Amino acid sequence: MGVTIQVEGLTKRFGSMTAVDAIDFAMEEHEFFSLVGPSGCGKTTTLRCVAGLETADEGRISIKGTTVYASAEQVDVPTHERAIGMVFQNYAVWPHMSVFHNVAYPLKLKRASRGDQERRVGHVLQMLGMELLGERKPSQLSGGQQQRVALGRALVGEPDVLLLDEPLSNLDAKLREHMRVELKRIQRDTGIPILYVTHDQLEALAMSDRIAVMSDGRIHQVASPVEIYERPATKFVLDFIGSVNYLPGEVQSATGDTVTLRVAGGATLTLPRPGFVPEAREVLLAVRPEDMVLGQSVTGSDLQAKVELRSFLGNLCEYRLSYQGHELRVQTEKDELVPEGSDVVVGVRRGYLLESTASQDPLARVS
Amino acid sequence: MTALRRLDSRLVFFVLIAAFVLVIVVYPLVQVLLRSLLVDGNWSLRNYESVFGRPRNYFALWNSVWVSLAATALATVIGTLAAFVVQRTDVPFKTVLRFVLILPFAIPPLFAAMGWVQLAGPVGLLTQAWKSLTGAATAPWTIYGAGGIIFVLGITKYPFVFITVAGALQRMDASLEEAARTAGAGTGRIMRDITLPLVRPAILGGALLAFVSCIDNFGIPAVLGLRVQFQVLTTRIYEALTIPDLPLATAMSMLLVVLAGVAVWLLGKFEGRSGEHAIIGGKSIRPHIIKLRAARPWVALALFALTILIVVLPVFALLVTAIQPYYGAPLNLETITTRNFEAVLNSSAAQRGIRNSLTLAPIAATILVIVTALLAYLNVKAKVRGAKLLDGIGMMPFALPGSVIGVGMILAWSNPPIGPTLYGTLWILLVAYLMRYMAYGLRSCRASLMQIHDSLEEAASTSGASRLRTMRDITLPLMRPGMIAAWVLIFMSAYHELTVSALIWSARNETVGVWIFVMQDSGFPGRASALAIAILPIILVMFMITQWLSADRSAI
Ligand SMILES: Nc1ncnc2c1ncn2[C@@H]1O[C@H](COP(=O)(O)OP(=O)(O)OP(=O)(O)O)[C@@H](O)[C@H]1O
Ligand SMILES: [Mg+2]
Repeated sequence: MGVTIQVEGLTKRFGSMTAVDAIDFAMEEHEFFSLVGPSGCGKTTTLRCVAGLETADEGRISIKGTTVYASAEQVDVPTHERAIGMVFQNYAVWPHMSVFHNVAYPLKLKRASRGDQERRVGHVLQMLGMELLGERKPSQLSGGQQQRVALGRALVGEPDVLLLDEPLSNLDAKLREHMRVELKRIQRDTGIPILYVTHDQLEALAMSDRIAVMSDGRIHQVASPVEIYERPATKFVLDFIGSVNYLPGEVQSATGDTVTLRVAGGATLTLPRPGFVPEAREVLLAVRPEDMVLGQSVTGSDLQAKVELRSFLGNLCEYRLSYQGHELRVQTEKDELVPEGSDVVVGVRRGYLLESTASQDPLARVS
Repeated sequence: MTALRRLDSRLVFFVLIAAFVLVIVVYPLVQVLLRSLLVDGNWSLRNYESVFGRPRNYFALWNSVWVSLAATALATVIGTLAAFVVQRTDVPFKTVLRFVLILPFAIPPLFAAMGWVQLAGPVGLLTQAWKSLTGAATAPWTIYGAGGIIFVLGITKYPFVFITVAGALQRMDASLEEAARTAGAGTGRIMRDITLPLVRPAILGGALLAFVSCIDNFGIPAVLGLRVQFQVLTTRIYEALTIPDLPLATAMSMLLVVLAGVAVWLLGKFEGRSGEHAIIGGKSIRPHIIKLRAARPWVALALFALTILIVVLPVFALLVTAIQPYYGAPLNLETITTRNFEAVLNSSAAQRGIRNSLTLAPIAATILVIVTALLAYLNVKAKVRGAKLLDGIGMMPFALPGSVIGVGMILAWSNPPIGPTLYGTLWILLVAYLMRYMAYGLRSCRASLMQIHDSLEEAASTSGASRLRTMRDITLPLMRPGMIAAWVLIFMSAYHELTVSALIWSARNETVGVWIFVMQDSGFPGRASALAIAILPIILVMFMITQWLSADRSAI
């Protein structure tokens, strides 16, 4: 079986509000799969439907080939009979049990022998670097350690899939970074498929094999991190993953591998031809900050702008430029510092095109 | 379908609990209301007219109101001042003070009233001391009558105010006061302009609780009022039932309900309003502590003296009376006697009282903890529709004066349409305690369940635990401290209950409280005091357990 979780037409309503709207996705074996989207878009609800903590209204969910929910056939396997492990955002480590007993609980439910429990819990705790803390109570642990207990508890029963709901969002930046790497490593070592929920697009890009980008209860695109970033399917994905500058313009001509635009302010840009060129002449050009170069001409694709503000970001420098009344964000290496107030040439290397009439529509296709 | 099966077990529990609440709470209440409006089977307001037709009755109503108001005022002043001193000054021994200041809660009001008679009554210890000091023939005070009742009610009920105000002061965001300080206000100014307005809802809330408790009280006006014909509603109802004039008692009970109802309605309003202020600011810096400087030891001394006056002196008087040959005997070592204790030991009625109380209290506590834990679970966790309503009904007796519960019991169980006649047996007391203390269990169980985040249970089910298993391994262990606290509180309260018991006990079915009251009332204060002194340690230990449990729980 190649598929871990298959979700088809999953719909969940709360009263008149549709939290999840007929979504489909399929997770491969051993895959690290992320659901990412802004707050309130339905990620947690989707995850809880997969776990059976929430009963969906329509659709079908199967885990490792077993249907656990199907509205048509009235199948609804209760949570405790689904072979899952879950880590909650607030850890949900049981305060009245020691670390050992927290982690051993799923094994105890499976009536594993005492020796077996000790061996497997010991193994998991060692993997998490917690082998010395087994006898502690959760109140004697730091947030990061509690996090690991929750992870250990979810892993120990060797579930078919691990469900993680923003497990890192309560940690400080350093620990979060550390746990990201840790999670990736654990996933690689155990091969356990992970369904991961986050609103942090960087986290999703860094960790996932594939990402599903959600908004308003719908999935916009399912693809690898590189593809999501390089070839966003909709305006929403383009906006949500990374930042972007917009310039209205008109398509002048398009050849096999270039497209020539006349943008607001009068400049003419000739760019590599994107996936498709919109039918309409009036378009919106979208350019990522790192796709522009400062003080350097790119043949046939230059803008004359003025530096308004410079912010030093450590490894990079970010500029706010004004170009004919439009604000542009540009990022450059820090060794090419340009002073504030100076006039510069901005070379545009590439961009995406949208129909300008669709500029307010998050579902608008991006070339 | 599994969903249906799951629903079923919850439904079964819901129906059982609904039946319990209906029989225990609703049925007696409906009886009181209906019978107050029925005369010879016809609707009539004649019962109410008879309340207002005779001065004896409407004076009792009026006395209940003004005496309770005056006692509440006294309790509010003591409670608020004590709370400010303990929370906002650098008075020493704060932890000890906080504990001794709520000790009056542990002393049954009947015992306090007896103690004060024995201190300040005509031949009381203080009275005798005064006479020998000044050579006067009489003391310039009398403990019997309105003044004495107000005094003893006030000093036994102030912890209601103390606890709510101290709590509000503790939770108050210190930055609110600091903002005023940076704006240039001095300490007195800040107290007046910022602190006092912010804790005013808490003061009013505590005062209303104290008022309801004063209205409800029977032991204090019975001991201090009956002898001089000073009647309040609760004692008047007691008298009406000894005649017996059940319709009159019923109508007066309804008036008590109205009085308490108004207070509770106001309480709800103030509690709602206090929510508007964000006094619970979360993490904040230590509030400003007023330095008492030279006054520091004196303020501490004054507070300790206050608690000695309120708690230690009356208990000491009980002890003295218990070991004296007769009430008012000269106090010296030669006259010390164990006669009163022997009388208690040899009295079969006292024996029965102790045995009955020791039977009823744990049974009531156990039944209530189980029922209210289940109801709280259905309400808070399973979110069964209707459970919230049941919870609300179960909370009602909290505001119901005990006399109403007593009258309701008599009406409901003298000749019930179905089921046994409980009146005249021990079991009517059990049913009455179940009604009276249901709210204690509900409050405690609900609070401890609400502290258990849903995800703790969900984590168990994603670990593979069934609903029942989750309850056993996760929910119950986490609820346990709350359930134990409720059990101890109900046991302690039921053990020395008097207001209801005095109305519905029958020969051979006496309780500890009833026996002590009857002894005191019929002129054997020595024996009454002996039994009171004997059971006080049990009550004190129970009280300390409840305090320790609640401190432990808030530490989690
Ligand atoms: N039990 C519920 N009752 C009513 N509405 C709910 C409930 N749970 C979620 N919702 C609503 O459904 C929508 C989706 O919620 P969900 O928790 O899935 O969002 P999310 O994507 O996880 O957001 P976040 O990143 O903030 O956690 C929200 O608008 C939320 O208000
Ligand atoms: Mg969420």
